[in-house]
Amino acid sequence: MKELKKIVVKVLNIDEIEVNDTLTMENAKQWDSFNHLLLISEIEKEMSITFSIQEVEKIKSFKDLREIVLDKGR
Amino acid sequence: MSKINEKEKLGISDYFNLYRKLKNKPNNGKYEKLKIAILSSFTANGIKEVLFVKCNKLGINCDFYVGNYNQHSQEVLDKNSGLHKFKPDLTILFIDARSIFGNKYLLPYGMDDKSRKTFAEEKLQEINSLVEKLKLNSKAKILLHNFEVPAFSPLGILENKQKFGFVESVEALNSELRAAFKNDEQVFVFDYDAFCSKIGKNNAIDYKMYYLGDMKLNLQFIPELCEEYLGYVKPLASITRKCIVLDLDNTLWGGITGEDGLGGIKLGPTPEGRPFMEFQQYLLSLFNRGVILAINSKNNYDDAIEVFRKHPHMALKEDNFAAMQINWNDKIANMKVIAEELNIGIGSFVFIDDDKANRQMIREAFPEINVVEMPEDPSLYLKTLIDLNDFNAFQITEEDGKRGHMYVQQRKRTEAQKSSTNLAGFLKSLNMVVTAERANKFSIPRISQLTQKTNQFNMTTRRYMEDAIKKFSEDKNFLVFSVKVEDKFGDNGITGAAIVKKGKDAWSIDAFLLSCRIIGRKVEETLLAYIAREAKKAGAKKITADFIPTNKNSVAKGFYKSSGFNIVKKENEKEVWEYDPEKNYKFPDFIKFMEK
Repeated sequence: MKELKKIVVKVLNIDEIEVNDTLTMENAKQWDSFNHLLLISEIEKEMSITFSIQEVEKIKSFKDLREIVLDKGR
Repeated sequence: MSKINEKEKLGISDYFNLYRKLKNKPNNGKYEKLKIAILSSFTANGIKEVLFVKCNKLGINCDFYVGNYNQHSQEVLDKNSGLHKFKPDLTILFIDARSIFGNKYLLPYGMDDKSRKTFAEEKLQEINSLVEKLKLNSKAKILLHNFEVPAFSPLGILENKQKFGFVESVEALNSELRAAFKNDEQVFVFDYDAFCSKIGKNNAIDYKMYYLGDMKLNLQFIPELCEEYLGYVKPLASITRKCIVLDLDNTLWGGITGEDGLGGIKLGPTPEGRPFMEFQQYLLSLFNRGVILAINSKNNYDDAIEVFRKHPHMALKEDNFAAMQINWNDKIANMKVIAEELNIGIGSFVFIDDDKANRQMIREAFPEINVVEMPEDPSLYLKTLIDLNDFNAFQITEEDGKRGHMYVQQRKRTEAQKSSTNLAGFLKSLNMVVTAERANKFSIPRISQLTQKTNQFNMTTRRYMEDAIKKFSEDKNFLVFSVKVEDKFGDNGITGAAIVKKGKDAWSIDAFLLSCRIIGRKVEETLLAYIAREAKKAGAKKITADFIPTNKNSVAKGFYKSSGFNIVKKENEKEVWEYDPEKNYKFPDFIKFMEK
């Protein structure tokens, strides 16, 4: 989970403390549709996992992201 | 200044973060602001940010204009578009094969051979006319992407049996584009297909991202793409390196010559020797295109020279090096001597050394030098060298191509001069031939370049663009000529020029200059003697000449005085000198003068 947080911090350019289950695409101003894809691309590269298109579209918050990554065994 | 270290490899999101940090910093670059426009047929996010950061690291400040999503044609055609208002210096036109082919990209055989051919021809026409329109409204250099040749075909193994196949049609587009702009000074075709091959066509597209965000190039490769763009940005910002300074042990060959001996070093057609042999071969190739080579090595001179003279697999010979500092002095001191000997700016150097500590030392002492981060593994030396994009120019004159050779000849002259006891004897022994030639379409670019670049022996330091030189040369009232200097060591090429206004009574010298390579060899006297002779022939009563001092041309200061000119006035700093052609200015007798 630490690794995932690190990537979110880097891509969204926010403080680590802000990366928690309350973080959503709605309330994070940097989390636009482009950064969303950048985030996915970086997670796939750094953590050697892949997302499906449906998963990418379903993720709307850090909580969603965390759960899907967890599902993938990471 | 912050400590400069070996650069670590940055990922795409590092670039985005650096961009956010740097974009609002005040303009502190030493170069003019460069304006770059990016027009693409798809979502090209990231190019601006990465290119900005890469340029910033080189001291280049950039402004960007990113065209709207798939609006490249409208932007080009509309004279009042944001693109034209922006007035770019460089326009990148990135149209991808999928956009061009539309739904025919996956259904190419829905058409017959003939329609496919017509289709490709139409597309070529469209691109050509778009580029022509762009040229009409813009002076920017245009970087035109060619198209990724598909690595697939619905026809499988029969693809290459078609009369005019799908793959062939993309290849044809690419080769037609190359042909169309081969001689165009404004348009440069960027080989995007080669770029895709380099990163691997399977990696170039991330299908998921393409379906989600119409990204035609995997985001992770944007830094690589921008690195390729830098090859064009650098010459635009006048960052062009001229000389590679090389270490010897474990750089040009494997092992240490002082310890392993001539037979023990690794160099030649063996698994351990080939990396060094091929590294040398490519260096030789760079030398042949005009890159100057030099050596900065801590070594016993005799041990090292023995390798150059006796090792059968040395591609590089002593004759390829314009300066050789092989001794036990420190590398910084040697670097200073090399820069002084070659008389080129410190920013013109690239430094290659296998030793990390040496690299760090040079990097700290000379931040302007490009210190190449050499890989630990010698088998990657060649790749590292190939990837350098530091030696590009939009145009090279014949002299540029011969530069590497000329600097070697210069070293030999200097050595000969050191060993001869008097200057007159040395100059005589050179068997110099100076050839004057009226400006023509072959020499005009070089004459213009000389007025732009010559600082030392330059009487007036007036800078002229090619157009201006061309105008002078077509004017009957002007004499514009260049001189070529040859001697027993080789051809120096065009290394001097003058522009003279031919008045009825008085001829006045507007520009008079010599490249630093041939200062001190009385070539200037030959030039002046030629002008005086022509003036006399034309019946001129006097020759007037200005000397405008700058902080770099002191070497030229006493020249008119020692040539028998009289000073007639001094306006501020400018001196005006006069000469009576009847005095028959003498050609130096040891120089053979010719007129072409």
